Amino acid sequence: MLAKNTYISENALMPGSANSLLSYQDVSEGNKLITDISKIIIDKKRSADLEIPKLLAQYMQSTGAETYHHKLPQPPKSPFNPLHFFLLSAPTTLRSNQSFFATSTVGILRARAGDGKESIVLVSPYDLENGKESLGLAFMVFSLLSRASWLSKDVIWVAADSRFGDYATVSSWLSEYHNPNPNFNPNPNFGPGPDFGPGDDLGEGFKRAGTMACAIVFKVVERREKVGEERENVAIYSEGSNGQMPNLDLVNVVHYLGVHRQGFRVRVGKLGFLEGVRGIRVLGEVMARVGRFLRVLNPDWKFDVSSGEYVEGAATLASSIFAQAVGVPTGPHGAFRDYQIDAVTLELSPKFSLTNENARSAFLLRSGRLIEGTVRSVNNLLEKFHQSFFLYFLTGPNKFISVGVYMIPFALLISLLPILAASLFNFNLTPNPNPNPKNPWRWLKPAKFSLLIQTWAVVVSLLPFYISQIIDLPLNYSFLIWTLCSLLTLVVLYSIFGSPNSTEIEWRLLKAVMIASVSIGLCLMSIINFSTAQIGALFIVSMCLLARPIRGKMDNSIVKLIVSICNLVMVIIRFPLSGFLVREIINGNFGEMNFGVFWESMEYLWGWNSASYLYLFLVHLPCWLLFVHILFHPCN
Amino acid sequence: MAEIRRYWPTATAALAFRLVLIFFSGDLNLGARPEVATPLSSLRRLAEGYWLKQSSLSPYAGSMYHGSPLLLSVLGPLIAKRTEDRPTYFYCSLLFVLVDFISALLIRSIGQKLSVSKSQSIKSLSKKEENLENNKNLGDFASLIYLWNPLTIVTCVGFCTSPIDNFMVILTLFGAISNIAPLAAFGFVMATHFTLYPIILIIPVILLLGFGPDAPSFKILKRKRFSWRPVILFIFWTLIWASYVLILSSISLKGVGGLNEMFKKTYGFILTVEDLSPNIGIFWYFFAEVFEFFRDFFLIVFHVNILFIVLPLAIRLKNRPVFLAFVYTAISAMLKSYPSVGDSALYLGLLGLFASELSDMQFSLFLFFGYIGVILLSPVMHNLWIWRGTGNANFYFATGLAYACLQTVLIVESVTSMLKHDRMLKKLKNG
Repeated sequence: MLAKNTYISENALMPGSANSLLSYQDVSEGNKLITDISKIIIDKKRSADLEIPKLLAQYMQSTGAETYHHKLPQPPKSPFNPLHFFLLSAPTTLRSNQSFFATSTVGILRARAGDGKESIVLVSPYDLENGKESLGLAFMVFSLLSRASWLSKDVIWVAADSRFGDYATVSSWLSEYHNPNPNFNPNPNFGPGPDFGPGDDLGEGFKRAGTMACAIVFKVVERREKVGEERENVAIYSEGSNGQMPNLDLVNVVHYLGVHRQGFRVRVGKLGFLEGVRGIRVLGEVMARVGRFLRVLNPDWKFDVSSGEYVEGAATLASSIFAQAVGVPTGPHGAFRDYQIDAVTLELSPKFSLTNENARSAFLLRSGRLIEGTVRSVNNLLEKFHQSFFLYFLTGPNKFISVGVYMIPFALLISLLPILAASLFNFNLTPNPNPNPKNPWRWLKPAKFSLLIQTWAVVVSLLPFYISQIIDLPLNYSFLIWTLCSLLTLVVLYSIFGSPNSTEIEWRLLKAVMIASVSIGLCLMSIINFSTAQIGALFIVSMCLLARPIRGKMDNSIVKLIVSICNLVMVIIRFPLSGFLVREIINGNFGEMNFGVFWESMEYLWGWNSASYLYLFLVHLPCWLLFVHILFHPCN
Repeated sequence: MAEIRRYWPTATAALAFRLVLIFFSGDLNLGARPEVATPLSSLRRLAEGYWLKQSSLSPYAGSMYHGSPLLLSVLGPLIAKRTEDRPTYFYCSLLFVLVDFISALLIRSIGQKLSVSKSQSIKSLSKKEENLENNKNLGDFASLIYLWNPLTIVTCVGFCTSPIDNFMVILTLFGAISNIAPLAAFGFVMATHFTLYPIILIIPVILLLGFGPDAPSFKILKRKRFSWRPVILFIFWTLIWASYVLILSSISLKGVGGLNEMFKKTYGFILTVEDLSPNIGIFWYFFAEVFEFFRDFFLIVFHVNILFIVLPLAIRLKNRPVFLAFVYTAISAMLKSYPSVGDSALYLGLLGLFASELSDMQFSLFLFFGYIGVILLSPVMHNLWIWRGTGNANFYFATGLAYACLQTVLIVESVTSMLKHDRMLKKLKNG
């Protein structure tokens, strides 16, 4: 409801101010490439993975571009390193003794009007089954740009072989681009991997253009299930790793050109099932009524949103938050974001089947014009994207919530915690006959204990690294070892330093310390990845507020009963594992429930260096343990 | 404070922890963090200066190195000694662990001397010996705080020369409190030579030598005579050591620059704030923004800030020279041009010496969590600014400001509660 319409804040972009130069002649060239590739796939099934890069290189060279191949060996499993986020990124060297290679072909077009210090990247992922249309599309645009006199930034076209996932290919190419490997063999023909033979004259190894101003990844995807679409679709994916987003201007330019020039229907991801939830629909209805009422009060307030719009916005927002919170990029554009390059992935899907020659040409023309327009806009930029927002949520393709708006509710939620901690800390111990009840250093003991638990949490979060070093354990066993080791360390730590319930610690102080550390954790997390902190805060704040011992005294017995039941329920619900368990039970495979799946999902999180993993184990887990301690506090 | 039974095992554990961290120091890469290594103290810059000097150039050429030439001669060979299987700067790190350990021992004996003098003065005040039990372990407590302080540990394995600077300051205090004028003078001259700011410590050192260690206010006790002999000795020795250091420096810089360049590139560099790369202080941001023709004026304003505070504090706290030294180090850690967490490590270590006097300090919980929060926040903000590009310099500077505020609160609160403690003693005497 508070979402603003997007606007393009960098004036230099000037989207759509020039007429598109892309014509049917370019399209026919693109079509030619597509047919050639199809021929290769049909004729030479065995060596198609070698022939396609060769063909692409020929085509690229025909436009006068500098061309080379980049080989990606089968990517090793990314080593687990929870501290990776805080460390400065070190160049990773790829192991080169594998026998499987994905070969990407890269062409660089030197701009005539530019100084070669900046570049725009076009990425078209393909594999043997699909993606030839996106290659054709890319070639179309590329050959047009080779003739364009207005080009002032170099254009790099990466035809990424996405056999091992498009992300891996793109990120390995990027890391090669930015961190030159001293051991790199300058001549690709002598390097490990497939030999392209002496006929393949591509000149000297890895070539570079200037710093990348922006990157556009586009895929052409034929979606068969949705026949009823009345228009061609563009889906924009923009979430990078750990909730990083590209500059809003880039999304805007694509949206503006897509909708207002080429007549696409622009979508951003949304959680479809939310639209079906009854509660949200009712809420949307209520919101619409309130909005209309406010409109009556003051016509200048633009709060009236129709309930349908509200529901759709909520679903999109939820998906945006969720995608950011998981911290896993939604496409190859995430690899660019790690080098501070703004990038989006466009998924173009046609109305009609692509086998129809005419429909394909029309579709390619419009898609090509969209990409050409975007490149032309970015080409106008004089400096990096900096005008618009980096921190925002999308509630629709043309609506967003900026950091200034979404921080407010979060801050309100969080601000409860320090206030409560302070009040608990100053709690007057009237029944206590202690002559010096207000010792200002009385928090030392609980702080020591909380530090102990934090240390334990660090150990738990590091354990999987050592367990994964043991070769080839079944996932179930890995998980079991992990749990056992964690429990063991906890017991050992307790036996050395004494558990809190045996030492005399006032539970209010313990709670104050717990809340203070949680609020630090949440604040840090909100800076690293706001969405994770937002979702986490929803769970954790109520837990912090309600925590009190079961055996504690309370005036009203009914209230006490309710609070105790709430607490007991929360112990079960808020356990980090339980969310996962619930999902398993809902899916109905309770019988053959497999803890290995949990291990797998954790592996997935740390494989992407997700900050959610850190949050789960360094903030949530210790908080939960402290909560359990408070709950079973003896209270004498 | 709670009794400390196992001093030696705990201290050894702290040292062992450091040794373990040294082997991971390559992964931690702490030397590249602006919070740990400043342009003045970075070991990388020292290595650069050493190589420059080896190739018969001035070590100060190219504005890389800004430290003392003596450190070059001592640490340079250690840096140059590299073996394949050992982590970088292995021998230097070992030396720093040793230096940290000696500093901790010195703090311990300072604490023991303080508690002896305190028990004497309390005895003379009243017959009630209520505080005596607490005082016994003061030195142990403070030295363990110094050893286990995460900031000290980070400084120790962070490839910077701060452990040595801190050691010299502690050595000065130790020499002064045990009335060994040559030692105090040596520590004072070296500390001043390395980082300039310890020069304000001359006031507490003279007070310490003249009046003896901390005691309740003079009004209560019989007025002690100011003994001039050790003070004159101290000044005499200071002159000797200073000329000695200057001679050594000029020998080492002979033909490659000379003393003039040394002063320009070390003290001049500190005072004119030439390097505006971000750190946890407040100078870089301000001087990056300030207009060129106001620059000199604001340089004077910023530096005089420290000097303004020196005299009033000296008058008010003249009966507590060690505490005064703590306040001075804290203030200069806050207001110096290239601060690092190593400076905080020093004053937090000294803070432990006054644990029993400051037991009534307010906001201790707030300060504790504030320090933790700011220290964790700083790398995150730096990452956001430099690596992700979504934040900007203001984000990082905000943590610097928060850090400065925390230190201010700490100083104000500790001084207040110290004065309160003195008033309490006065009441004890009267009542």
